[in-house]
Amino acid sequence: MADEESTWDRIKDNWRIVLLVVVVLASTFALFSPTLASGSGAGSTDAEATASSGGLTNIQYGLELSGGTRIQAPLVGVHATGVELSNDTSTEAVRSNVAANIENASASDVTVRYAGEYSGTVQQTTVVEVTARNVTAAELGTALSEAGYEYEDTQNRVSKVTQQTAVSILRQKVNEAGLSGGSVRTVGGDVVVVEIPNANQSQVRDLVASRGQVLIQAYHRNENGTYVRTTVMDSDDLQQVGNARQLEGGRGAEVGVIVAEDSAQDVQQGFVDTGLAQEGGTECRYEQAPNQTEPCILLVQDGQVLNSFGVRETLAQPMRDGTWADDPRFSLTTGNLSTAQEVAINLRAGALPAELDLDSNSMLYIDPSQSERFKTDSLLAGIAAVLAVSGVVFARYRRVEVAGPMIITALSEVVVLWGIAAAIGYPIDLSVIAGFIAAIGTGVDDLIIIADEVMSQGEVSSQRVFQSRFRKAFWVIGAAAATTIVALSPLAILSLGQLRGFAIFTILGVLVGVLITRPAYGDILRALLTGEH
Amino acid sequence: MPAAKLPFGLPEVDYSEYTNRQLVAVPLALLLVSLLIIGGVWLTTGAPVDLGVEFTGGTEMRVAVDGDNADQQIQQAFDPAPSSVQPVAGEDTYILTFGEGVDSETLESQAQDAGFTVSAIDATSASFGEQAQIQALGGVAVAFVGMSVLVFVMFRTFVPSIAVVLSAFSDIVVPVALMNVLGIKLTLGSVAALLMIIGYSVDSDILLNNHVLRRQGSFYESAYRAMETGITMTLTSIAAMLVMTIVATAFGIGLLSSIGLILVFGLTTDLMNTYMLNMSLLRWWKFEGVNR
Repeated sequence: MADEESTWDRIKDNWRIVLLVVVVLASTFALFSPTLASGSGAGSTDAEATASSGGLTNIQYGLELSGGTRIQAPLVGVHATGVELSNDTSTEAVRSNVAANIENASASDVTVRYAGEYSGTVQQTTVVEVTARNVTAAELGTALSEAGYEYEDTQNRVSKVTQQTAVSILRQKVNEAGLSGGSVRTVGGDVVVVEIPNANQSQVRDLVASRGQVLIQAYHRNENGTYVRTTVMDSDDLQQVGNARQLEGGRGAEVGVIVAEDSAQDVQQGFVDTGLAQEGGTECRYEQAPNQTEPCILLVQDGQVLNSFGVRETLAQPMRDGTWADDPRFSLTTGNLSTAQEVAINLRAGALPAELDLDSNSMLYIDPSQSERFKTDSLLAGIAAVLAVSGVVFARYRRVEVAGPMIITALSEVVVLWGIAAAIGYPIDLSVIAGFIAAIGTGVDDLIIIADEVMSQGEVSSQRVFQSRFRKAFWVIGAAAATTIVALSPLAILSLGQLRGFAIFTILGVLVGVLITRPAYGDILRALLTGEH
Repeated sequence: MPAAKLPFGLPEVDYSEYTNRQLVAVPLALLLVSLLIIGGVWLTTGAPVDLGVEFTGGTEMRVAVDGDNADQQIQQAFDPAPSSVQPVAGEDTYILTFGEGVDSETLESQAQDAGFTVSAIDATSASFGEQAQIQALGGVAVAFVGMSVLVFVMFRTFVPSIAVVLSAFSDIVVPVALMNVLGIKLTLGSVAALLMIIGYSVDSDILLNNHVLRRQGSFYESAYRAMETGITMTLTSIAAMLVMTIVATAFGIGLLSSIGLILVFGLTTDLMNTYMLNMSLLRWWKFEGVNR
């Protein structure tokens, strides 16, 4: 009985060491357990789900250590909040009134959005937004005032709703393009980050450079006999977009689409009104004789006509009868397969509400072979730093029982940090590794404070003396930890890209150190110095 | 008065032999010179320090070049020519830096046309860099103010608190001036290091203040004990960062080497500031200031 009691007492006295051991074991589990391997990705949000798995461990590596391309850029646009519009004002009128007062914008660049919830994002007030290049918030403000609309504030960036829509469309585009593991997120408020493993810069640029607005337009004569273009459908009207496929006989490719039920009638009416569905179908000669052709269908992407074609009688007839809308299928033809694939992606994802401002971007491309080298090289840098620390500490104390546990404790901090990274699926980048090294640095600093304090003024004779000295040391450590956290928190929030990981993991390291590892070192030291076990 | 027993067999120092004025003169003079350098650079270039491509815009490209006359090949391959060419240890790889105004796609195809293997590109356009500049400056300012407030709250005494804040200020300013003198450009890594200095360097100041303010025993006893611990701490960190800088520079890992280098500057400055500036302010406060 007595024996058992003393075992229990010993555990109770050394609970800090026990806690450290448990946490280190849990971290090791998080690092290596195959059961967590798939779960770790699910636990993380889209924001952090870049990354390819590290193979042996559950660590996910970020772009710098896995290879790929990252493009960061803001969206083009400015917006005004709290715009006051009377109930009888039409949106159309507002758009053209505002556009009329802005040099670089047309009505189609102006969006008016009333307060409400838009796919999860709540907008408190009425917003007027201009998504044209070279328009400043001040110009929008002036334009609103000149048009007689009052507003609360203007900002030199797109609205929250537009940003969210753009991000989800970009995500879809990345997925549709078959680039696996890609992620799209925002940082620092208005910068969109597109990150795609194993892709080179032109692949990513091509995907995100344009708005990807695909319109199916009718090219026909109006009442006055002049040729005009009328949009008969766009991506919003579609329910399903098929895969692009090569046409038999080798000439061109096509994308089959199914029009949504609620749009089918309108689309059908559009074909009839513009003469596309005239008797006998139409023969398109848009390319050879644009001023003499029968009505044509134009496939337009970002303002550029990709292809023009006529309507066969087999399609025109059910449209005239009104039966096409019951089974509204349509096929878009293009010159080649890659264009068809692009059109299909754009139709499925929809058009971006605003363009990415690639004139103001930051691009990072890392070749997979380079990332492998970064991995080993940064590991070597870290090991070298640890060896340097060990050397200095041993030189100072010349006692293995003081310096040894110091190094082991500091390293256990790094194990815990790796474990956290694996558990939450945070992609490890060079900056995170810098954070690990910083954690060792601050960690050892604190352990030195503890060791010096505990060993000051002669031998540690009793538990009580130890406790009081340890508490004194801890005040300094707590204060130092607080200043480090305060100093690095701006970086954890700002959009200074790569540095976020550094700040987050340095702060985490300080917290893990103060709460778990450094108190445990105190206990280890006490056990070794007081001779009480 | 006993002299301070320093670790690592450093020579003993007897502070009582020096007046406060003597002790303060060195760090303050250095701070002043640093501020003048930074001010001068700021007036002439519009920025307190020479900014790297992440802030001014530009492209950094890592290419592997076969053959002996790599330098010549590189100079011929690119138009415009790179503003700097830095070899990576142990490989045929070079890190090339280009100013802003050249498209990174153009540079990539020039490199491929010349038969180089492009293994990494880091490109920033000027206006994006400008945003980063504002954020970086703002971040450092916010961090510094936050740290100052925290220090005042913790010590609740004016002189010891301002001594820490002043030391920390100098710990940032002197490295930045040193960057100007040595022609080191500001990168994202150096910004991280400057923020880290704010958090890191005050450790030894806090330790010193804590010993002097809250411990029994004479001023010199407390201060010397804090010194023994504090110097060990700072030297350990300097050793770690120095080694990391050397290894990372050899391998061409820009982020790690710039974090390490600036931290070495900052921590070294901190040794001086803590044990000359902070120490003498504390001594003045302890022996004369309190009675006023």
